[in-house]
Amino acid sequence: MNKLTKTSRTVAAPVATQACRSVPDAISRRTFLRNSSLMAGGAALASVVSPTMMKKADAAMSEGGGKITQVKTICTHCAVGCGVIAEVQNGVWTGQEPAFDHPINKGAHCAKGASIREHGHGERRLKYPTKLVDGKWKKISWDEAINEIGDKLLEIRQKSGPDSVFWLGSAKHSNEQAYLFRKFAAMWGTNNVDHQARICHSTTVAGVANTWGYGAMTNSMNDIHQSRSMLLIGSNPAEAHPIALQHIFKAKEENNAPLIVIDPRYTRTAAHADHYLKIRPGTDVPIIWGMMWHIFENGWEDKLFIRQRVYGMDDVMKEVKKWNPAEVERVTGVPEDQVYAATKAMADNRPGTFVWCMGGTQHTIGNNNTRAYCAFQLALGNMGVSGGGANIFRGHDNVQGATDLGVLSNTLPGYYGLSAGSWKHWSRVWDLDYEWVKGQFDSGSYEQSKGKDVHVMNTKGIPVSRWVDGVLEDPANIAQKDNFKAVLFWGHAPNSQTRGVEQKKALEELEMVVVIDPYPTVTSVMSDRKNGTYLLPAATQMETYGSVTASNRSFQWRSKVIEPLFESLPDHTIMYKLAKKLGVADQMFKNIQVNGEEPLVEDVLREINRGMWTIGYTGQSPERLKKHQENWGTFNYDTLLAEGGPADGDYYGLPWPSWGTPEMNHPGTPVLYDTSKSVAEGGLTFRARFGVEHDGTNLLAEGSFGRGSEIKDGYPEFSADVLKKLGWWDDLTDDEKKAADGKNWKTDLSGGIQRVAIKHGCSPFGNAKARVNVWTFPDPVPIHREPLYTSRRDLVEKYPTYDDRKSFWRLPTRYKSIQEVDHSKDFPIIMTSGRLVEYEGGGDETRSNAWLAELQQEMFIEIHPRDANNAGIKDGEDVWVESPENAKIKVKAMVTRRVGAGVAFMPFHFGGHFQGQDLRSKYPEGADPYILGEAANTAFTYGYDSVTQMQESKCSLCRITKA
Amino acid sequence: MKIHTLLFVVCLLASVFQVQAANPQSAPPPPPSSLYTSNPGAELWREVRQRDGEVLRGTTQMTSTDAGVLINVSGQLWREYRMQKLIPIAGVAILVVLAAILVFRVVRGKIPIPGGRSGVKILRFTTNQRYAHWSTAILFVILGLTGLIMLLGRTVLLPVLGPDAFSAIAAGGKFLHDYLGPLFALSLTWLFVLFVHGNMPKPGIDLKWLASGGGMFGKHAHAECYNAGEKGWFWLATIGGLAVVVSGLVLDFPIFGQTRATMEFYHIVHSIAAVILIVVSFGHIYMGTAAIEGTFEIMQTGYCDANWAKDHHDLWYEKVKDSAGAEPRQAEVQPGMAQRESTNST
Amino acid sequence: MARMKFYCDADRCIECNACVTACKNENEVPWGVNRRRVVTINDGEQGERSLSVACMHCSDAPCATVCPVDCFYTTGDGIVLHDKDICIGCGYCFYACPFGAPQFPAEAAFSSRGKMDKCTFCAGGPEDDHSPAEYSKYGSNRIADGKLPLCAEMCSTKALLAGDADVLSDIYRKRVINRGASAFDWGVNFNKQKLDLQG
Repeated sequence: MNKLTKTSRTVAAPVATQACRSVPDAISRRTFLRNSSLMAGGAALASVVSPTMMKKADAAMSEGGGKITQVKTICTHCAVGCGVIAEVQNGVWTGQEPAFDHPINKGAHCAKGASIREHGHGERRLKYPTKLVDGKWKKISWDEAINEIGDKLLEIRQKSGPDSVFWLGSAKHSNEQAYLFRKFAAMWGTNNVDHQARICHSTTVAGVANTWGYGAMTNSMNDIHQSRSMLLIGSNPAEAHPIALQHIFKAKEENNAPLIVIDPRYTRTAAHADHYLKIRPGTDVPIIWGMMWHIFENGWEDKLFIRQRVYGMDDVMKEVKKWNPAEVERVTGVPEDQVYAATKAMADNRPGTFVWCMGGTQHTIGNNNTRAYCAFQLALGNMGVSGGGANIFRGHDNVQGATDLGVLSNTLPGYYGLSAGSWKHWSRVWDLDYEWVKGQFDSGSYEQSKGKDVHVMNTKGIPVSRWVDGVLEDPANIAQKDNFKAVLFWGHAPNSQTRGVEQKKALEELEMVVVIDPYPTVTSVMSDRKNGTYLLPAATQMETYGSVTASNRSFQWRSKVIEPLFESLPDHTIMYKLAKKLGVADQMFKNIQVNGEEPLVEDVLREINRGMWTIGYTGQSPERLKKHQENWGTFNYDTLLAEGGPADGDYYGLPWPSWGTPEMNHPGTPVLYDTSKSVAEGGLTFRARFGVEHDGTNLLAEGSFGRGSEIKDGYPEFSADVLKKLGWWDDLTDDEKKAADGKNWKTDLSGGIQRVAIKHGCSPFGNAKARVNVWTFPDPVPIHREPLYTSRRDLVEKYPTYDDRKSFWRLPTRYKSIQEVDHSKDFPIIMTSGRLVEYEGGGDETRSNAWLAELQQEMFIEIHPRDANNAGIKDGEDVWVESPENAKIKVKAMVTRRVGAGVAFMPFHFGGHFQGQDLRSKYPEGADPYILGEAANTAFTYGYDSVTQMQESKCSLCRITKA
Repeated sequence: MKIHTLLFVVCLLASVFQVQAANPQSAPPPPPSSLYTSNPGAELWREVRQRDGEVLRGTTQMTSTDAGVLINVSGQLWREYRMQKLIPIAGVAILVVLAAILVFRVVRGKIPIPGGRSGVKILRFTTNQRYAHWSTAILFVILGLTGLIMLLGRTVLLPVLGPDAFSAIAAGGKFLHDYLGPLFALSLTWLFVLFVHGNMPKPGIDLKWLASGGGMFGKHAHAECYNAGEKGWFWLATIGGLAVVVSGLVLDFPIFGQTRATMEFYHIVHSIAAVILIVVSFGHIYMGTAAIEGTFEIMQTGYCDANWAKDHHDLWYEKVKDSAGAEPRQAEVQPGMAQRESTNST
Repeated sequence: MARMKFYCDADRCIECNACVTACKNENEVPWGVNRRRVVTINDGEQGERSLSVACMHCSDAPCATVCPVDCFYTTGDGIVLHDKDICIGCGYCFYACPFGAPQFPAEAAFSSRGKMDKCTFCAGGPEDDHSPAEYSKYGSNRIADGKLPLCAEMCSTKALLAGDADVLSDIYRKRVINRGASAFDWGVNFNKQKLDLQG
């Protein structure tokens, strides 16, 4: 019997990645049989691949191959920040190799990262500027598009004022693009600018920053290797951050670290947990306070840590006392023994890390939840230590960067806020006249603070979660001149926000809708608009370059893999074109070189470095970041510290804060608030942000200080005056003195104050206690409040929501008036939402990737067998999911025990169907994603966080019936 | 001449056993020693198989049939059936039957018409029946041959033709097999309808005929239009044909979400029925062509010789002989009517 | 001689499907053909475990045994490959394979399946290494470059391992020791704590 055997090959060392895929000269032995149509194997393989693309690749290969170039970039999907090595031949992206020496992912990917080459491959993209004319999509040129859009914007500005345009930015912009976007809104003269962080971790940022100074992930995923216990609440990394599990499993297997998962669903992450607590959606505070009850009851708290570095724990203890095991079980559904066991596991095994995601943040009391989580870690003394921390996993690839760069309606880049001082600071950085900047704004005032009128420039804008109300609300009730007349959806899909039915109405009301995105997004199809809609093709992050900030605050440099496809342009180029049309380009790009129409990315980063002193975005120069990119392999997998090599002494990505100027060469801060290292080595204290004393109590740290600190106690934030008082003023150079005089560590553009403070071992922002009582918040100590739409009417009296607010972020915001209506009879099932690993965000991008789309072909709702039987629903049947706000969607029923009885779950990534109607025909030709489905958020309801206006998309009510 | 044929038969029989012994499918070859490495995968999958007896089924994001099945246990059983039972047995059966026919021929020779031809022709098969028979027969032969190529080709043809040529032939054979199969279904149905009336069993006559050995070793017993042997073939072809057609259609149209277990089951049915039909068809073909003088021309022309009829189907002959010699009216030629073999055309 | 095998660590697999899309990516596998798939048992319930399944490159490959045209061959590394030019698309290998590895681009009337396609351990096929013909028919040939299959190289949690069986055994053994549990206590989490899934 003939057995074809290949000549034996030893497993040799990897040959060139430069191996040439050239056509051999040898003629195949089977030429005479090849290519009869029945037998050609190759024909089948070409079916999904676009003929043009396939041809290109083949051409490249058959032309004697092309040299394979390896390009390093970072995955554009989630915030883990996996390294990607793209192989490019003749400008065509032909392959991917695992980035084995990347410190965060070690070459690993999830389904999305492993298929990212599709970005250079897929056909279902917005290919050229498109305009909606009488309901039909028409191709137009870039110039036409920019001119028409610009003219309309100027017209709206004239009639209704600059606040009538909503600039909706993106968590998928690079740092440079995000920064330019925020600057653009300022140049235009509005604070109505926002992005996905609003509906993702805004409550985290607000809650956590108000607890200890910064609102970001405090440690890193790699740092979890040092954890001795791990608690995940409302976080499902198996679907949302798969690479995080690589690190979690390391701790689990090598440290025997118990994994505790708290989630209403028995997720794929929970399946690997040692402790699983199934809570009712929306009961995060009760469960955490319930665990704290055991901590205090058993004296497990870290008393020294609390005494030295925490303010207000007594107030928390008072609240926690109310949450005895019986009450915890009554409200959350979790029995005492489980709560006790999980708490003991964390207490016995320190340091332990605490992770949370949307499950905890997307609530009307989101800011309470996040602060409760912080209090938990503070109580156990798990903060500022390797292996501990509040390891908040961010969402999109650059939501951290976009948040930091202030694409938010309540602040400027670097969380400076919107005070006059902040605007003056940024005007200086931008090298613009402050009065000119102010003059761009509506000169009116629509809000008062402490009896005085507040200028529009200093009032928070409308956040993305409420843009609908910005359009539909009675203008008399809005704290700005007029409603929104135009919205620019710049890298942001609408189906990640709630109240889809009202969104459709709002879209139809607008005078102009502009979508700037590589994909059409659901915006282009969900309304019945016939005109005044523009789709501009943006290039993906694979088609441009720049820096991106991962969830662990590390900066990563992306190199360009391929040229922008079709007629797409990088976002910063589009910004330049539009800025030019609107007449603000000179100001916006004053110190930024523009080549042709593309702003120089490195110059933008340098401007960022010059201005973002608050969070230490100042040390991460383009040069240092590129050096890190070239030397991935020199960074230690456990600590992220480079040991030797060109980046010796740096932490990977110079995790912010990287203090001072790039010349100061600060290594970055891998673990926030870690006093075991000097600040110069990446250590830190808690920020002194809330004053030096409150109600007679000292707010500064007591007896706790960073290693090498010359001040052996707490101290306030540094300013020129403080330096003078300490006698360190003369450590500044003359140039530094000139810039720093009268300034503080945030506004000294020379970086001298920071440099000197660090020289003396001190954190520039002070050394204070973290506060678990945030007296400026609606609920100073976190308490539980039932969701607006709750099925537990018996708990509403004891745990009611807030009173309605007349004007909150410029809009009336309802709470009580919604909760007081009992919907639980007609809508008995608790509805919650979440992620799938194959898709991301609004989903048009990933559902246009054939390799991913094949894996999730239908939108579905998870429903427990008990509820299914009660409603007569069988697995796989079509069902209607109806909300109390008169929305309904038609999806497939997936009957599973993953959710508890009375709870149903939907993934939010689908779009393109609307209330039972298939909208595929409304997409521009050839740009419709392969898979369409109902958007879960069409059926999700009103409900907004009491501090940040975060949407409540983790607990609402619904009714499920057979379709 | 007889001795030569005898020698040939002996050699053939010997080679049958040779093939049997050398059949590599009957016992797996011992693996080379380099294969004895510990494979954690093997242990894992053994564990998987033991967990749930039969087939372990889970969920998966793939939407093809059976994608959620973790391990398909029936596949191994089917493999053993096909490789260790079906192929060797089919091969042997074919050779044995061919040999038996050869022996019979050698020993019995060609069976003549007693008393020679009479010259009188009787209509035995209508045009319709002939067409039905031949279309079914030709399709059967093609299907049988192409089926055998798929079954035994690797053992018998591949060493001779080499992989490329054999693959071309096998591919062509599969193509014919798959497209002609449904046609055979139709043809067989047509055949059944046309021949069923005469083939209804009559135990009284048929059993006596069988007891007498069907005239193979002596004088014929009584027989009507069709004797028990023909009836046996008819019903075997019907039942076996039905089995082969139904199973064949299931196999030929894998578009209804058939699982592997289903396909394996129908393959077993199909292969057993087919091999039986093929092997018995050898007998039928021999009987219908070379075995007996005056037989082959009947299915070609529709007419048989009167003496032939008197010998083999005496009861039928009695019924139809009265019309022997009568001039047939053109429009009313019935089976059983005799027609004078005339040399002068009217 | 190295004996190439796959091993999927069920305690680490989280059904992230990276192995599935990595394979599609590297080998340009069309929609409907699934060389690799992840199967989850006890979905949504205690004891949920996932396994990534593709061709196991068996030492005594059933597919090779039953093929009517003998289009399979085993390389010196133990990788089971086949020749699409010889394959007649009969489907027998699919019936015999315990793991459902053989895939067909079509499932049409008259048993038209097209050429069988399956995981090649990223070792290409009988065509010359790295030729366009090899790539268009079988996908990438990483083995010829001394690399390993991309599915295992990109597995998010390093659950899926590919390589020499001895090396895999070592890796897996180390993990078992760390976990302190029986290697084949499959479906029970490490600390053997009974998880109470209410309602």
